[in-house]
Amino acid sequence: MKIAEPLQIAIDEFSKLPSIGKKTAQRLAIHILKKGKDEVDSFVNAVKDLKTKLRFCSRCFNLSVGELCEICKSGKRDHTLICVVEEASDVIAIEKTNEFHGVYHVLGGVLSPLSGIGPDDLKIKELIKRFENEEFKEIILAINPDTEGETTILYLSKLLKPLGVKISRIARGLPVGGDLEFADEATIGRAVIGRIEI
Amino acid sequence: MDRMNLLNLHLKNFRRHKETNLTFSNKLNFIVGANGAGKTTILESIYYLCTNKNFNTRTDNEAISFGEDNFEVEGTIKELTESKIRVYYSLTENKKFYFRNKKKISRSVDIIGSFPIVTLTPTDLSITKGFPSDRRKFIDSILSQASKTYLINLLDYNRTLKQRSSLLFLLKENNSEKSNDELEAWNEKLIQGGLYLIEKRQRFINDFKTFVEDSYIEIMESKETPEVIYSFLESDGKKTNNIEKKFRDLLKIKEDEEKRRIANLVGPHKDDFIFLIDNVDLKKYGSQGQHKTFQIALRFAEFFYLKQLTGKTPIFLLDDVFGKLDSKRAQKISNYLRKVGQAFITVTDLADFSFLDINNEDTIIKVNEGVVEYA
Ligand SMILES: [Zn+2]
Repeated sequence: MKIAEPLQIAIDEFSKLPSIGKKTAQRLAIHILKKGKDEVDSFVNAVKDLKTKLRFCSRCFNLSVGELCEICKSGKRDHTLICVVEEASDVIAIEKTNEFHGVYHVLGGVLSPLSGIGPDDLKIKELIKRFENEEFKEIILAINPDTEGETTILYLSKLLKPLGVKISRIARGLPVGGDLEFADEATIGRAVIGRIEI
Repeated sequence: MDRMNLLNLHLKNFRRHKETNLTFSNKLNFIVGANGAGKTTILESIYYLCTNKNFNTRTDNEAISFGEDNFEVEGTIKELTESKIRVYYSLTENKKFYFRNKKKISRSVDIIGSFPIVTLTPTDLSITKGFPSDRRKFIDSILSQASKTYLINLLDYNRTLKQRSSLLFLLKENNSEKSNDELEAWNEKLIQGGLYLIEKRQRFINDFKTFVEDSYIEIMESKETPEVIYSFLESDGKKTNNIEKKFRDLLKIKEDEEKRRIANLVGPHKDDFIFLIDNVDLKKYGSQGQHKTFQIALRFAEFFYLKQLTGKTPIFLLDDVFGKLDSKRAQKISNYLRKVGQAFITVTDLADFSFLDINNEDTIIKVNEGVVEYA
């Protein structure tokens, strides 16, 4: 049986999303089809606003509504303590623990020649540049301790060492192969506190 | 003692076995049948239960019965408590699923080593006669069953190799100098991971040697003295004092060649293990008989090493081994096996093995074109 084109397009789009299979995509599309117009409009607007109303903070590359994100703007944060993470989703995970009160820097990934990602594809130059205008006492590398993450930590620590700042990394003991994003919050919280100097 | 036994086995669409149900002795299980009757298949399926892998490095889809689109292997392993293991492979999804007591387990580190298993098959020839990669595979499979940490580090190291060769390729393509920082970071990662593996292999060979010597004396009743030497970082088995320095120096020396050939040329993925009998290199000068003896001794050493390290008695699979041994040695081995644990032994014709002292504690299973019956 041939599926009506608009439905097929919707299914295809849904199945492009992470961890959504063909079956789930079909269920979601049909689910939306059954909804009232208002509900669908507000769903569509929410998705659109993600792209139009959000941008990356010009300082830390976290998600932001304005030029600077709420964390960078906040007077309540410790601006001498900086935590380097892979993705904006890691900021959300660490923020939920309520254990960290410094600021962030989002790299946008890790070194991975297999995926063609080198230092220039990450916000590394931007990180080093921040040291010119900001005064940091400690930098925490909260990067997943997998193969690529470990190598990125090695790369960064060599680059940061001459800057004379205390460098620490989150302790190993996060689930192997598990993403920081999915590790339970208590684990990450403990990992950020239980960091080790390198 | 911490015996570990496979109580039963259920095969569905597994090669010649459309539907087979078996129960086993906790001593010796003789699986009898002509070549191609489906007896090795039973060992193959037991290996799946313990490792989720195929024991002759064939692909999963080869194990499916002709015309079917999935296979299933189920078995109960008894330790202090019973665990029900199920392996299900779907051809359409090209996916394999591993369940322990109905709980899905997806990471190999959570499977390998839980039920240690040792195999002795005709392909063991490659351990003493084949390439360094065959020997590394043998050593790595023992270490991985003995230690999850080793397996995790091995997988991490292999991933590093993949990433690094990809970088070497990009460097050659772009001919860029500035990426040297990046290569340096991957070198550090390679050294960190590599040093761990070398240290573990070094320690392991030190312990394992004694096990090989013991099996030579006790099981093989050989007067010859076996020796295993670990050769790493082009040491050719000679002593290396500062391993890290050696590693770094070699990387520097080989840098240009690595870039030219786009290949990882330095590290434990180049290691080899040298086997000696009375100080003579087995690979170069050993007779057929000496090779066979060494292969068997290595597997028994593996068995006792894993038993000591994991506190579990491994399941022993012997495929088509007795046919090639003289009767005295075969008898000695089977009596020894009966004492130490549960074993699965394939033979083509039991009449040739009247000397094996098979008793009523053992099980004899006859296999003919994928159909089984008990003798
Ligand atoms: Zn910011």
